[in-house]
Amino acid sequence: MAESSVIGAGTVVSGHVRGQGSLEILGRVEGDVNVTGNVVIGPAGRVRGNVSGAQLTIAGQVQGDLRGTHAVLLEAGARVAGDISGPRVGIAPGALARGHITTDGEPTPALARSAAHAPAPARPAAPVPSAARPAARLAPPAPPIAPPPAARLAPPARPLPAPPPKLEAKAPPVAPKAPPQLQPQPQPQPQPQPQPQPRKAEASRAAPDATEAPRNRSPVELEFTPVRPIKPEPRRPPPPVVPVISKGTKAKKKKSHD
Amino acid sequence: MAGTVIGEGLTIEGDISGDEEIVIHGILRGRLTTTDAVTVGGTAVVGADITGASLSVAGQVTGDVTASERVDIQAGGKLVGDIKAARFTIADGASFKGNVDMEV
Repeated sequence: MAESSVIGAGTVVSGHVRGQGSLEILGRVEGDVNVTGNVVIGPAGRVRGNVSGAQLTIAGQVQGDLRGTHAVLLEAGARVAGDISGPRVGIAPGALARGHITTDGEPTPALARSAAHAPAPARPAAPVPSAARPAARLAPPAPPIAPPPAARLAPPARPLPAPPPKLEAKAPPVAPKAPPQLQPQPQPQPQPQPQPQPRKAEASRAAPDATEAPRNRSPVELEFTPVRPIKPEPRRPPPPVVPVISKGTKAKKKKSHD
Repeated sequence: MAGTVIGEGLTIEGDISGDEEIVIHGILRGRLTTTDAVTVGGTAVVGADITGASLSVAGQVTGDVTASERVDIQAGGKLVGDIKAARFTIADGASFKGNVDMEV
């Protein structure tokens, strides 16, 4: 079996590092790192290049993309400028990350985004396609039984393009938007049932609930909040699908901040 | 413990430089420069010019070697290249091809 390797604190490697086994980087690497085992980049470690491995534990600096087939963990003090991808991505408080973060490598930006923002990305192992999950989680408990097929097709179109900066405002609408599309098919009677008719239901319910309240909630809370409180806001026209601030713009802003 | 260890199965294509001991069991292509000792393990394949305080070869090395102290080729070791070192030993069973400059 391949043994583990160490690049010591006083060592600089300029070139590509690849192969089997795990690797601990305490010094500097100017080039890509591509191993089958785990990669640990110590607090003093610096890598300029892409890093890929099973589980990446970063406490140092990386200028390049990170790809962990098992997990990517950024520890306090880590500084990463580059894209991060892996089935599990952890960013500890005190770590800096700049770039695109994707969990699971699935082509569902919306899901990846919410997972990235939520520190605990533990997702229910549901057989439902990931695209349908956001809607299913927020939708009323009753309808999901019938609508799933519709949910799979419909929601992705809407929630996906929603802009990242408006995460808080955007998250709630997912619930109301999806149901209206789903309900009509399985349950033709719209009025009497409060759940299938989120728009009307919410309108009537708007009075008791403070409309702003749900908005201020963090995305994490929203995931576990019952549907009721969320509903009230959707009565207003849905937020624009096109991002107010494009992703690139935001990134530039951030850069200037730093 | 050695400062830097290139494990078996690991390949480095490029330069390594540093100020600490380096042990290689894997594959290195490029250049190796350090101010401390260099050890080339039995499983190692090194195609690089090596500069260090001392060099011990049990695997294969192809490249010129400059050592400020000594170079030892262990039994089973193989070195092809010119050597410049104050002291130089070749164990029985080792193979070597190249010039030696011991700075008399």
